[in-house]
Amino acid sequence: MPLLLRRYGTAIGFLAVIVFFWFKLPDTFLTSRNLLNISQQMSMLAVVSATMTVVMAMGDFDLSVGSMASLAGIVAALVFVAGGSSWIALPVALAVGIAGGLLNGFLVAYVGILPFIATLGALTVFSGLAFWLSGGKTIFGSAIPASFGGFARGGLALGPTGVTIPNLTLVALGALLLTWIFLEQTIHGRRLYAIGGNAEAARLAGVRIKPLRLAAFGLSGLGAASAGLMLASRVASANPTQGAGLMLDAIAAVFLGTTMSDEGQPRVVLTLVGVMMLGALGNGLTQMNVDSYVREMITGSIIIAAVAASSLGRAREG
Amino acid sequence: MTLLSVSGLRKSYGGAVGLRDASLELSAGETHALIGENGAGKSTLIRILAGAVMPDAGEVRIDGKHAAPRSPSEAHRRGLRFIHQELNVVRGLSAAENIFLGRPYPRRLGLVDWRKLNARARSALERLEVRHISPSTIMARLSVGDRMLVKIAAAFLEDDDAPARIFVMDEPTAALTGEESERLFQILAALRRRRCGIIYVSHRLDEVLSIADRISVLRDGETRATLEAKEATKSKLIELMTGRAVAEIAGAAASPMADRIALSVQGLSGGGLRDVSFELRQGEILGFTGLADAGQERLTSALVSSGRSARLALYGAPTRLRGPADAWARGIALAPRERRTQGLLLALDIASNVALPHLGRLNRLRLFVNRHAERARAAKVGHRVRLKSTGPLQKVGKLSGGNQQKVMFARAVAGNPRVLLLDEPTRGVDVGAKFDIYAFLRELAADGAGIVVVSSDHEEILHLCSRVVVMREGRVSAAASTKSLAPQSLLALCYGEATD
Repeated sequence: MPLLLRRYGTAIGFLAVIVFFWFKLPDTFLTSRNLLNISQQMSMLAVVSATMTVVMAMGDFDLSVGSMASLAGIVAALVFVAGGSSWIALPVALAVGIAGGLLNGFLVAYVGILPFIATLGALTVFSGLAFWLSGGKTIFGSAIPASFGGFARGGLALGPTGVTIPNLTLVALGALLLTWIFLEQTIHGRRLYAIGGNAEAARLAGVRIKPLRLAAFGLSGLGAASAGLMLASRVASANPTQGAGLMLDAIAAVFLGTTMSDEGQPRVVLTLVGVMMLGALGNGLTQMNVDSYVREMITGSIIIAAVAASSLGRAREG
Repeated sequence: MTLLSVSGLRKSYGGAVGLRDASLELSAGETHALIGENGAGKSTLIRILAGAVMPDAGEVRIDGKHAAPRSPSEAHRRGLRFIHQELNVVRGLSAAENIFLGRPYPRRLGLVDWRKLNARARSALERLEVRHISPSTIMARLSVGDRMLVKIAAAFLEDDDAPARIFVMDEPTAALTGEESERLFQILAALRRRRCGIIYVSHRLDEVLSIADRISVLRDGETRATLEAKEATKSKLIELMTGRAVAEIAGAAASPMADRIALSVQGLSGGGLRDVSFELRQGEILGFTGLADAGQERLTSALVSSGRSARLALYGAPTRLRGPADAWARGIALAPRERRTQGLLLALDIASNVALPHLGRLNRLRLFVNRHAERARAAKVGHRVRLKSTGPLQKVGKLSGGNQQKVMFARAVAGNPRVLLLDEPTRGVDVGAKFDIYAFLRELAADGAGIVVVSSDHEEILHLCSRVVVMREGRVSAAASTKSLAPQSLLALCYGEATD
């Protein structure tokens, strides 16, 4: 029984959450429309969580993803204000994301600062930069091209079924797929997991740790910037605190995923389950008109319960 | 007088049997050696005595009282002291604090009395005649051997409420040099004179034969025999441990050493080494040894990261190594000393561990993982190193120590290396696996590889290597053929004495 609980505890909890909302909200929760809605709501988190999984596979963290998402949105909006098109704004914003990520990677891998400290510093710097560049104001209005805001509202119609998959959901699926291929199917991904398992052993076995760490943080920056653009597109505007909630949720999603994996390693597919769980909870509780503060308390407790069940199970296995 | 007796002890973990029928008797003033292959049940027996696990059945009697200790603190109260093989030290704390780990710190006015803490730690160290370690030194700054000495000193900490009567030592000399081991043996002799009893677990049979009064052999969780050390021989013990007759292995095979130089090193300095030069021939097993901190422990790591600081030639071609990755890429395989912390990824399977340094070649399109090739390679080299496992997908953490060590060798040979750098290749490995490893290394040398073996086990050096380089104070102090080298002469070389 303890083994069962450890292996499948989170999955069982996930199903319980679904069944609970299905029961409470029979007409609105398990409808294709609501599910697509959840998928769109969670798409930004899914992208950040996917690249966070890459960093956490090495045993590191990236705390700067939320403020990087805000910064990327601001950068894109400023390019729009300056008269640039999406063809300029998006690459520039993504380049800022990669550059910020590489800066984190450089500090961690080559200077030797603990990831927690380095990315905490970067969080503050990126956030300050976003406020400074935007003057602390939300950038919106006619400067933002209609096509940019329209992207988030659009989707891919699935023939005669009448179901339309939102574009943001498609972007998230693409990001998840690419990250999965990178982590699970390439030799670089294998080396990342080796670093996470035992960095010294990996180094002595010929893994070049520094460039890999640099690249992983670069990816995380790219993921954060992509999510920032998705957020900005969704509201057709950018403000310097837009991405604030992403970092904690992303780390929570990855942790929820690790409770289901064999040896507690972060895995993209399981991270996705974690994201869906957070998404279902948020959506269901909102529909039940649960106060947002209470919602946070419930979500936090569920994350702690999942990780606790898993560690207790592990301890018992000895 | 009997200090401790154990009989009919049984313990299983889940389905796996740790002990089936173990018995042991320890008299006052006796050193009783406990030997057996890895997995024979020695650790389980020790864990029961330490109060870490409770037996399923059987009797434990300590100093007349019938009952197994229910907790480590009860074991301590009843006069038992443990020295474990694994170096469980807190690197960030001082030596004194490590000595007091799990014991109440001396206090004054409710606060830690640091002066007294250090003084008592110093006296514990002095009982081991260790004077070069200051109690306030941070553990991380000490060498592995010194850390072991600190751990051992913890067992000698005076405790008036619970005087120590029984010392249980699990491979205490695994990380010690010959010199430090000798010092430990003197302490053991003194303890015996004070009527303490010592349970001594070791894989080093020569050591066991020289210091023990009686020897008990465990196999498959059962005590197979208890014999007087005087009547025991090495081959007899090996036979009892393995359950099969093992002919005493002959001395180092005259390997068909070629004239071709596999690796030449000139002027390697830094990291405590000073101007180290040597030549390794193709087909040669070259040993490196010395006293603690004489430099041999740092040889392989300094060599693979030497960069511009040394002139290296690999099969005649000048080479520069800027780290382990360069070494592997040039066909130099490494097997580091600490397999659990420096070598293996215990959570991953055998195939992943074996393939890790070779992913640059075992792949599809230079990017994608090729699990099929990894598994095939792991199975092939696993067979070659006589690895016992359920297959390439078994988790390395589930293997015995000897088989984990074989995974390290499987990894090393999976890329057909031209040179191997092995650091303590048989540390903490049982006899059967040790012989497997020796036989395999000889095969490898015969196939034309050059092999460097760094070892503090002189028996191993004399047995396995054709030549030995003795290090002293970071320099090469002597190099000799092992053909007619007596153990005493090798030890003398380590101490820097001239031999005839």
